[in-house]
Amino acid sequence: MKAFIGIDIGSLATKIVLINEGKLVDHRTERSTYNFKKVGHNLFDDILVKNNLKRSEVYVMSTGYGRNTIDIADDRITEITAHAKGAQYFFPDAHSVIDIGGQDSKAILISKKTGNVVDFQMNDKCAAGTGRFLEVMAHALEVPINEFGDLALGSRKPASISSTCTVFAESEVISLFARGASKEDIAAGIHKSISRRVAGMAKRIGVAPKLIFCGGVAKNNAVKKYLVAELGFEIVSPEYPQLTGAIGAALIAQENNN
Amino acid sequence: MEDLELLSDFSSFLKEKKEEGKKIIGFISHDNIPEELFDAGGFIPLRLMFGGNDDLMTASHDFLPPSTCAFAQSCIGLFSLKPRSYKFLEFIDYFLVSNHCVSDICASEIISKYFNIPRLNFYISYTKTNNSLTYLKLELQDLKQNLESIMGSKIENEDLLNSIKKYNNFKKKLLEFNKLYVKGSEKLKIIQKALLFGPDFHPTLENIIQKYKENSNDFENTSKDVILTGCSIFINDYIIDLIEEGGANIVFYDTWIGNSYFSQIISDDLIEAEKDPLNLFVHRFNKNIYGDHSVPNFLENKIAQILDMYHQYKQKTGKKLAVINHIIKFCDHISIMSSFFKNKLQDQGIPVLNLERDYSKANKGQLSTRIEAFLEMI
Ligand code: SF4
Repeated sequence: MKAFIGIDIGSLATKIVLINEGKLVDHRTERSTYNFKKVGHNLFDDILVKNNLKRSEVYVMSTGYGRNTIDIADDRITEITAHAKGAQYFFPDAHSVIDIGGQDSKAILISKKTGNVVDFQMNDKCAAGTGRFLEVMAHALEVPINEFGDLALGSRKPASISSTCTVFAESEVISLFARGASKEDIAAGIHKSISRRVAGMAKRIGVAPKLIFCGGVAKNNAVKKYLVAELGFEIVSPEYPQLTGAIGAALIAQENNN
Repeated sequence: MEDLELLSDFSSFLKEKKEEGKKIIGFISHDNIPEELFDAGGFIPLRLMFGGNDDLMTASHDFLPPSTCAFAQSCIGLFSLKPRSYKFLEFIDYFLVSNHCVSDICASEIISKYFNIPRLNFYISYTKTNNSLTYLKLELQDLKQNLESIMGSKIENEDLLNSIKKYNNFKKKLLEFNKLYVKGSEKLKIIQKALLFGPDFHPTLENIIQKYKENSNDFENTSKDVILTGCSIFINDYIIDLIEEGGANIVFYDTWIGNSYFSQIISDDLIEAEKDPLNLFVHRFNKNIYGDHSVPNFLENKIAQILDMYHQYKQKTGKKLAVINHIIKFCDHISIMSSFFKNKLQDQGIPVLNLERDYSKANKGQLSTRIEAFLEMI
């Protein structure tokens, strides 16, 4: 086998990576859309062509929400195992992982001895504690999602959002707005709220340094700041936080084939 | 997929019983309901043990908040929506309100009141002191009297003792069946059917055991073996498929639909020695270490039993077991203790997955991920 491909089909984005001799060679990210199979196929064809590879020369491991439905995969692995492996690619001494994706979030505990997963927690189908929560709130405040974190960092006195439910939090935000709270303070309150929820879930399995924060939301510095405050220790994010699962899948494919 | 054949067979069974002059008593409670008393009095116990879905849960929100346990929600939904395959619920003559948990009381009261089914009461103590045991005896006497006045005839001690023996023998057969190494989903289906039809299923169960014994090498298991504990898997619940598709095989059901039911056997010596059969129920409650009712040391007993099963299985097969703790959403009864339970077993090196879920379809993908990730982990 010349190379290994990991494809992470998330509910919002599909990520594909090419690994050769344990090193990240190429990667792509695209919105999953309703036709995530087609998106996956296009990304796969593209990465093969650009890297001069034939189908028979690669081994494909799928992960993520659509892992069972994508037919190009030779094997599949859950995003929990994939994220644990991917986090160790960036930080070999990783002990815990928090991944906040579009539709779910998870906390993973990694054995220092074996590098394997020893425990994990996932949030349930509720949107609170996921990227979706931030999207809904950014929309309510009429702020583009990629500016939302920076807006929150400008706050001096974060508003208090007590609801953890997206629906209730949205009406709380509207009433805070009506009472004259600034956008920055409300945004900070929202970021604190999601961080509190995710940190609470992570603490239940006893996360500890070195903790790797990954997933699309890891690019949001306000969530990172409040997560640190809630957890009480520093956390780190990889260079490509949203690729962690796909990289992990490709590395597991490589391990299984050696 | 709904097992329409099972539901239709059950419907015919109830119809036949009604034609014989029997009356049907519906109830939710998982534990401590004296079915033998119903049997001796000419009643058929109909335990609600059907899994839910989105529609059933939603329908219940007319009566109770969505923070009620998903199973109790679905039970109410069955009466509210009256799905075609559950038409047999119309055969129910009385609904028993009991206090296995708060959801049980609330949902049973609603079913009885809003759907016009005459109510019977049976409350069970939460402790095992002299006072609480006396109270349980009074409840049993009341229930017996109520049943007698419905039928207009006395429940004789001899008839009650015969019913107790009949249920005892049935449970012993189930224990024998439980020891067979059978695919988890097949085992569950048979246990579910047995609980639904009661001792009438005994002859069929004997044939099934015989058949499995003759083909004992048929089941080749490539999956990881697990114990299921916590909430029962009810009839037509998709969770068993997700568990098996994820790569696990349930070898032991430490749940009400499983070991907690058929381990509650009254010893033959005691049956012979006891003059008042109602005392046998009190004795069973007092000595019961298997049941799911909240009584002192309930959790410690549960942990001790799982450790026991784990070690016995390891000794017999050389394999280690993992534990799936099935938590139906908002079942406080199971969820409150889940972290403690998990920590206690994990301290002993036994991996535990606290699998919390409701009956919604949207939950399926995430449940699969949890199950598969857990199996990858072990
Ligand atoms: S599932 Fe739990 S809360 Fe619901 S009726 Fe059963 S014991 Fe009670």
